[in-house]
Amino acid sequence: MRLLLVEDDVMIGAGVRAGLRQEGYVVDWVQDGAAAEAALLAEPAYALVLLDLGLPRKDGMALLESQRRRGNRVPVLVITARDAVADRVRGLDLGADDYLVKPFELNELAARIRAVLRRHAGRAAPVVEYGAFRLDPSARKVSYAGREVSVSAREFSVLQALLDRPGQPLSRAQLEERLYGWGEEIQSNSVEVHIHNLRRKLGERAIRTVRGVGYVIDGAEVPCRSDVSSL
Amino acid sequence: MSIRRKLLVALLVALAATGLAASAATWFEVRRQAYELFDYHLEQMALSLGDQPLSVNVDFLPSVGHDFVIQAWNPDGMLAYISRNGAPLPLRQPGFDTVHVLGEDWRVFTLEQPDRILQVAAPASLRSGRATTMALRILIPILATIPLYGLLIWFIVGEGLRPLNRIAGAIRRRQPASLEPLPESRLPEEVAPMVSELNALLARLRDALEQQKRFTADAAHELRSPLTALQVQLDMVERARSPEDRHVALDALRAGMKRAARLVEQMLTMARLEPQRELKEITSVSLDELAAEVAGELEPLAEARRIELRLERLESARVHGDPQALHALIRNLLDNAIRYTPAGGAVRLSVHADDGHPMLVVEDSGPGIPPEERARVFDRFYRLPGSGAEGSGLGLAIVKQVADAHGAELALDDASHGSGLRVTVKW
Repeated sequence: MRLLLVEDDVMIGAGVRAGLRQEGYVVDWVQDGAAAEAALLAEPAYALVLLDLGLPRKDGMALLESQRRRGNRVPVLVITARDAVADRVRGLDLGADDYLVKPFELNELAARIRAVLRRHAGRAAPVVEYGAFRLDPSARKVSYAGREVSVSAREFSVLQALLDRPGQPLSRAQLEERLYGWGEEIQSNSVEVHIHNLRRKLGERAIRTVRGVGYVIDGAEVPCRSDVSSL
Repeated sequence: MSIRRKLLVALLVALAATGLAASAATWFEVRRQAYELFDYHLEQMALSLGDQPLSVNVDFLPSVGHDFVIQAWNPDGMLAYISRNGAPLPLRQPGFDTVHVLGEDWRVFTLEQPDRILQVAAPASLRSGRATTMALRILIPILATIPLYGLLIWFIVGEGLRPLNRIAGAIRRRQPASLEPLPESRLPEEVAPMVSELNALLARLRDALEQQKRFTADAAHELRSPLTALQVQLDMVERARSPEDRHVALDALRAGMKRAARLVEQMLTMARLEPQRELKEITSVSLDELAAEVAGELEPLAEARRIELRLERLESARVHGDPQALHALIRNLLDNAIRYTPAGGAVRLSVHADDGHPMLVVEDSGPGIPPEERARVFDRFYRLPGSGAEGSGLGLAIVKQVADAHGAELALDDASHGSGLRVTVKW
């Protein structure tokens, strides 16, 4: 999952980025409103924007308002020192999905990000269940056909991306976009490697290749005993 | 003591004193007149008696009442006649005299005739008694009216002081924290200046309080950022899985602590400067010595950031001011310059006098401040966009506050060479 962090305070930005990376997110960090606007224009794939309000060059509220007016539906979680009720109401009314007042704990921030993403995906339950898959984003655990499977952070992200809209195929480029932030070296075949590893752990049929399009998980695939036992 | 009581006592005492003085003056005057009249009577009686032959026969004498005494002497000094029983009054030179006989003062007029000497006398108490009666007649009505005057004064003064009571009432009724101005209408001209001064004081207090409130609110807001950084950094320490991660997280936490501590320190400096628009202890301060001292304190910071801190020109210059505040001014200027200049740069400090005006100049080789931002950088908690939001945003505000308090001018310009900033403080 790729997030855009808009925060002008260097220490907070660095800390939040490091913490969210541990949570398995890909975090792009910009330090002013204008850069945030440019990033949102260039990269449509952000799963969520973490938005500070007191920003140089373009205020967070103004940024939020212009994005919503332009029809950008990306979930926005406002993180700010402005704690007045009027500010919170205004932020939410301008189109923020949640509002977190500084100072906050990383755990709460992570939980709120999960909640916003969940709601945005149209789910109420914290655990994603689809077909034989069971994905717990907060614990970062996957089970397949009733059995817990240990996966790496990147592999988890691949599964999460594919399960975000089950049945819809994602191209390699789309997956790469979600998996890697700016400045991260992408190995040319890394997506294939992750898919290969996942298939090795879950079974060949867990993830289907749609020729010329990409990869998809669809619920019709029922794992065979033999697939699972081959783990 | 209340003004009313004071006025009452003072006025009544003055009134009584005036009454007494008038009575005394009257007494003296009446006595003088009584003496004159008395003497005139004695003389006239003696002259009229001089035309009559006085024999030893008392029956011839005009009736003169008890008080008057008439005596006639032969030229040889023998008493020829006396109008009463008892010891005769002694013989005197012609004219008026006072004699003391048998415990009583007598006023005597002696008339010398060719064949005899006539004396007419009366008790002196007669005339002073009269003077006293007259004086009392004046004094008594005055004394009798004193209580009435007292009552009048009490009411008139009370009426006069009513505006003061009204103001006192207005003050008493207000909320303890209210700094609203007092009503200034319908005030006598003696009280109006006091109330308007009081209102001016209240207005100044209101401003100061407002400023303090804003500062507290700003400060609370500004503390959130370093606190958030600390919280996040602490979370990262907790989450660290490897010793290296832990090391990195602890370093970040330490930097966060340092930053928070610095912000608090700057806030304290600001708060200490805040209320004393007038400076506390004004002495003559050697600007060059103070500048050299502060530069010495900041040398380690400059070295850590690989900034060359150069004392370019230190000429003796003295200013009047608060040494502590001036120390804060120089320290913040240098600290800012060092912090915002990239490693390998230089910060130059100079003190000299220009046309008799002491000047302190700090120049750096940093990114400078765009002209359109120069007016705002002195605002509290204002940070230049893109400056990383690491600073407290108070440094230049402190500098401005101290400069203002010392009546010094602050100017921001481009550095003489390079892109940096030059700050000039001129007295």
